[in-house]
Amino acid sequence: MAVIRDPMPAFEFFQPTSVEDAQALLRRYGADAWVLAGGLDSLDWLKDRIKRPAALVDLGTIPGLKGIRDVDGGLEIGAMTTLTDLVRHPLVRERYSILLEAAEAAASPQIRNQGTIGGNVSQDTRCWYYRAGWPCYRAGGNICYADTPESINREHAILQADRCVAVNPSDTAPALIVLDAQMVIRTAGGTERVVPAEDYFVGPGIDITRMTILEPGDLLTAIRLPATWAGATFYFEKVRDRQVWDFALVSVASAIIMNGSGIERMRIAVNGVSARPLRLQAVETLVRGRAADEMTAVAAGNLAIDGAQPLTFNAYKVPLMRNLVKRAIRGVEPATWNS
Amino acid sequence: MEFLTWGRNPWDQSILTHVSWDLLWAALFAGVAFLLAHGGYMLLSAHRKRHAAETDALEAARPDLPPRIVRHSLAARLFHWVMAAAMFTLLVTAFLPIAGVRFAWVTWHWMAGLVLTASILFHVIHATFWLDFWSIWVGPRDMPELKAEVMREFGHDVPGPRPGKYPLGNRLYHFTIVIAALAVVVTGLFMMVRVRTPFFTRNPYLFGDATWGLTYVLHGMGGVALVGLVMAHVYFAVRPEKWWITKSMILGWITRRHYLEHHDPDRWKVRGAGPAARL
Amino acid sequence: MAGKYIGQNYIPPDHVAKVMGRARYAEDFRADGMLFTKLLLSPMPHARVRSIDTSAALAMPGVKAILTADDLPDLEGAERALTNEPRYAGEPILAVAAVDELTAAAAIELIRVDLEPLPFVTDSLESLRPGGPNARLEGNAWGAPPPGGQGPAAPAPLETIKWTAEDFAAAAPGQLPMGRPLEEWSYGDLDAGFASAALVLDETFVVQSTGHHPMETRSAMAYWQNGKLFIHASTQSVAQTRGSIARWVGIEPANVNLICEYTGGGFGSKGAGAVSSAIPAMLSRKANAPVMMRITREEESYIGRARTNMTGRAKIGFATDGRITALDLFIVQDTGAYGPLGDHRSAGLATSLTYQPPAMRWRAVNVITNTPPRSQQRSPGPMQANGIIEPVVTKAAKQLGLDQVQIRRMNSPEGRAEFGPVLPATGRRNRVTSAFVKDALDRGAALFNWDAKKARAGRRQGSKVRGVGVAVGPHGAGSIGFDSLMTIRPDGRLYVQSGVGNLGTHSVIDLARVAAEVLDMPWEKVEVTWGDTGKHLPWTCLSVGSQTTHAMTRANHAGAMDARRKLQDIAARDLGGRPDDYDVRGERVYQRSSPGRGLSFAQAAARAIALGGRYDGHELPEDINAMTRESATRLAGLGLMGVAKDTYPRVGATYSFVAGFAEVEVDVETGGVTLVDFLAVGDVGTIINPRSLLAQIKGGCCLGIAHALFQKSVVDPRYGISLGDRFHYSKPLSILDIPARMDAHALDMADPETPVGARGVGEPPVGAGYGAVMNAIADAVGEDVFRRSPVTADIILMSLEHGARMHEPLRAHV
Repeated sequence: MAVIRDPMPAFEFFQPTSVEDAQALLRRYGADAWVLAGGLDSLDWLKDRIKRPAALVDLGTIPGLKGIRDVDGGLEIGAMTTLTDLVRHPLVRERYSILLEAAEAAASPQIRNQGTIGGNVSQDTRCWYYRAGWPCYRAGGNICYADTPESINREHAILQADRCVAVNPSDTAPALIVLDAQMVIRTAGGTERVVPAEDYFVGPGIDITRMTILEPGDLLTAIRLPATWAGATFYFEKVRDRQVWDFALVSVASAIIMNGSGIERMRIAVNGVSARPLRLQAVETLVRGRAADEMTAVAAGNLAIDGAQPLTFNAYKVPLMRNLVKRAIRGVEPATWNS
Repeated sequence: MEFLTWGRNPWDQSILTHVSWDLLWAALFAGVAFLLAHGGYMLLSAHRKRHAAETDALEAARPDLPPRIVRHSLAARLFHWVMAAAMFTLLVTAFLPIAGVRFAWVTWHWMAGLVLTASILFHVIHATFWLDFWSIWVGPRDMPELKAEVMREFGHDVPGPRPGKYPLGNRLYHFTIVIAALAVVVTGLFMMVRVRTPFFTRNPYLFGDATWGLTYVLHGMGGVALVGLVMAHVYFAVRPEKWWITKSMILGWITRRHYLEHHDPDRWKVRGAGPAARL
Repeated sequence: MAGKYIGQNYIPPDHVAKVMGRARYAEDFRADGMLFTKLLLSPMPHARVRSIDTSAALAMPGVKAILTADDLPDLEGAERALTNEPRYAGEPILAVAAVDELTAAAAIELIRVDLEPLPFVTDSLESLRPGGPNARLEGNAWGAPPPGGQGPAAPAPLETIKWTAEDFAAAAPGQLPMGRPLEEWSYGDLDAGFASAALVLDETFVVQSTGHHPMETRSAMAYWQNGKLFIHASTQSVAQTRGSIARWVGIEPANVNLICEYTGGGFGSKGAGAVSSAIPAMLSRKANAPVMMRITREEESYIGRARTNMTGRAKIGFATDGRITALDLFIVQDTGAYGPLGDHRSAGLATSLTYQPPAMRWRAVNVITNTPPRSQQRSPGPMQANGIIEPVVTKAAKQLGLDQVQIRRMNSPEGRAEFGPVLPATGRRNRVTSAFVKDALDRGAALFNWDAKKARAGRRQGSKVRGVGVAVGPHGAGSIGFDSLMTIRPDGRLYVQSGVGNLGTHSVIDLARVAAEVLDMPWEKVEVTWGDTGKHLPWTCLSVGSQTTHAMTRANHAGAMDARRKLQDIAARDLGGRPDDYDVRGERVYQRSSPGRGLSFAQAAARAIALGGRYDGHELPEDINAMTRESATRLAGLGLMGVAKDTYPRVGATYSFVAGFAEVEVDVETGGVTLVDFLAVGDVGTIINPRSLLAQIKGGCCLGIAHALFQKSVVDPRYGISLGDRFHYSKPLSILDIPARMDAHALDMADPETPVGARGVGEPPVGAGYGAVMNAIADAVGEDVFRRSPVTADIILMSLEHGARMHEPLRAHV
């Protein structure tokens, strides 16, 4: 039976107005249901006719899932808040500028107008073998086409690969981990479950077909940012090929609270190196009480890449990640050319 | 029920990916069904056992035998338990994720597989040079014993041969498990090339799709067969009337009485006397 | 010949429709009972169709017809719209016509195609290895075209060529092996040149393939009326595409009516249309209903054409002052599944022209691979030559302690510079009509503040280091001998027929500016007719190879001069005197000595109709093309006709040049490159339309910048399937990647061998952007950091980290 990649097959399209209704639909259609947020990941799958859901449940019509609320000096961000709304929100700028930077680094202005924070953290990997519909582990098969002696895998994982070497593409994920964001999930059973951002993501060792812990029927409804890291010294950097509409080769996010000349505490996370964004706890421990200087940065950078296993085309990610971790600690000396 | 899972490769050719995981449930079901059937049968059956008096007479006739007769050397027991641990790990790491219990299983699985492989290699060498290699084997010459044992199962007291060192059921089980284990071990070793290990450069393209498909299917079939076989094995090990055999796999010896009650001393000759009688 | 219109900005007549979204592209047309078609593409890079079972598909309600290769005319081995022997993954095998696309796609999923896999290869060097696979059953490379005179070139033969293990062993790692070439030329004393050199460098460079990906894919809609094919398709060249479609469909050109008023870009991928347009045409005939074929972006990435990738090795000798003494160039070109393409030849000639080596040898192998088909892409050949040669020149300048502008200036062509080998036809080397490259370099260096920027290059600030680069992009820029057709009608207006495609360059309209200038016709009274072969268009050049502005300004100069002459003739006839006594100005033809004595254009047009004969097109010149004759015949009697073939003399070959200047900032901790400033200066002859010209220069440079920095094609070698079918994988330049400061200028120095002075501009900026940016990166981080493009962060970072190049040296499509 021949394969054809266009157009999008027909499906039932639902626009529920409450989370309860959405979940009732998800229950009704079970494995044939597909949750639609901004659609920027979904529509690729659907247009390629690779994912063939019988029903689409659009979360865009649920009013309670949008918007940013001030909660006890922190923020609660509805999962369906667009990246543009996030970037423009004064309280995000004031308290969590790192999230603003990360969200603004995502994709292109048009995509940010449509893409949501919930979708950004929950999106599937962009491994080009997987997205081409090749029957790899992640697609339920028993092979990784990206890790063979002939594969082209410049964008793939250097850490924590387990059969699958895909990486997480989210720009906001490392920033959320650094901010100790709490992911509010409404489970299929209707209860609320709150998990820290770093535990929201799942690697291939645990579940090779999913990127997050969301079970069928679960919905991410909001992301809570505690006041803990508001106004810390932030660093975010995303290295990519194009300045727009490109996924990170490697990205880094960090928050530092200084105590005199020493680092009192720090949180740091990287993405683009593994199937889940990685919080670097060893680095956080290492830098505690040290000066945020070159020496600390070098030690941290070297520690961060411990155990990295590059593939044929992605060895550069090792020094890149090391250098980004260094920069997250000691910063970047600005150039003074006036071009 | 489908027995095999098929996929399409990037060239849109049909490829075998693995056995259908329905087979796991089938194996579990078959194992439980066998347990229930056998257990029920044993409760109700007229299974022919020697009368105590018969055994007393046999024991009186052989005072030369030591009270404890070595059945499994330390090496053999070590092998058995190492293999059992490896097998258990392999089955757990293979099938729990399929059953929905998620954890990083791959490294544990291939490491246990290597332990299993090593223990089997050890066992083959050990059995070849230090044990009576053929004592566990089955062949056409076992037909009379099979006939006699079946008759005994149905309550007839027949004269035919009694088991040598290993009861026939034991040997048939061994035979089956040799096939299943060889299938999983040989295919598993090749499958290690598909994942990252310190031993080879990962190369999922080592074989073509068809060869890999067959490899995965054999591995899967061996695996699900082992589920059933291991269930049966454990079941027999804990059955009260087999407990003396299980104990021997722990302690190494059986009593003279058990020896004489269950074995044919002509087919399993215990030479000499003393507590450390040679096999 | 700057004047009232030439050299002045204006708003072309298609602008409003484009900006308001009213412009209709091929996909926007509808017809009663129109069906839609979807394509079944080969999943394999090389295979033979054993059988096709369409029964289940045809049984579906709404499925009307299925077209296979068996329904298409044989094109003597050339590429067809559908095939029974797919030669690349993604090649169309059949097309289904149904009431809508959903039905057509569902039908395709019910079709069984039994394919027999055949040997395939995705990397040209692999095919040259001993025992390496051949991409086609008939061979693995295109041989040299048979020597021919004028007329269409005979097809090159397919050959099988394998190099020896020794050939491969002789090359150091990262060096291109050089076995037996299939094509070769040379001139001068190469050995003596190298012997006299103070510095000889031998470097290998890998230029990637890049998809054309115009905004508009090659969608097409077709229907038949009274045995005539009406087709809405996207093409760069309207007049000449009629013939292509006729050939692909197997009918006479006169039975094709092509409509293409707007083209959403082509970049060389739609030169004479797209062979795939035969699908809706043939399917429409089979289904007896109009058929729309909307090509998706993914399909475009397979059938939409790409640049030939090249691996080149250049050995160049330099004197101590930087002058090149000898140049030895070897190119292995990957020409894709079809071809043959001549990029490798253009690259050799461009090298000879741009760097003016006194002795040069060029050798090449043009290898076929099972990768998506190539076609000429904006600066086909000369751009790749920039990639191969520029790193060597940059390295030589560094080693000799010379300024980068200086070394290029001293080796640049000047005036009627010679290039290439001795031509058998003339016994002499070819030469260009004019070259003012030194002026362009001088002007650019001054405008760019080259010296100031150079002074800060190479010095680190934090993790950042800057570098500056310069490169000259050359390209052929004009053909001759095409026709012009225009009428001045009794309404007093000038109607100019334009057979040029409206592919965004404005040459489709610009040519009428020449007529307006020659006839001194107010622009608002000029009507340009274009985009429909049913509207009587003249024989026109292909809008490829930057030739249109040159070719069609010449032709329309000739046509306008013909009209002018006829105005003078009519005036002299009616009012007395000699024609030369009359001037044409202010919508009148009048006696120079007594301006009151004359005719308005409207009067003259009416007189021309009354006179008939040659004046209103009832008699036509002998030398015009049959297509022009047919169109002129239909327009005859409408007014005073200007119709002529361009017969203006030209001795040399027309080339244009653009000098590009780039400043980049490289972050040595991430390998990231930011292009901070770019400037280009065109040596492109007389400026016709300044705004459009500068947009062309900037746009062309942007394509080169994309090739230098990120755009690529990726093919998995195991399955031979393209992986870059999303823009975020193949990474063409986006608007936000254009440097904050980007400027373009043009010398506006007239070419002496064309009456209008204008040369083409579309292509030379590509190599300028490509070379300048790569040279700037080399300037910032070291000239040995990379030997392939695109120069991405991974390449830079790994080289800096290890102090040596770490990337896969010769592998293509990564």
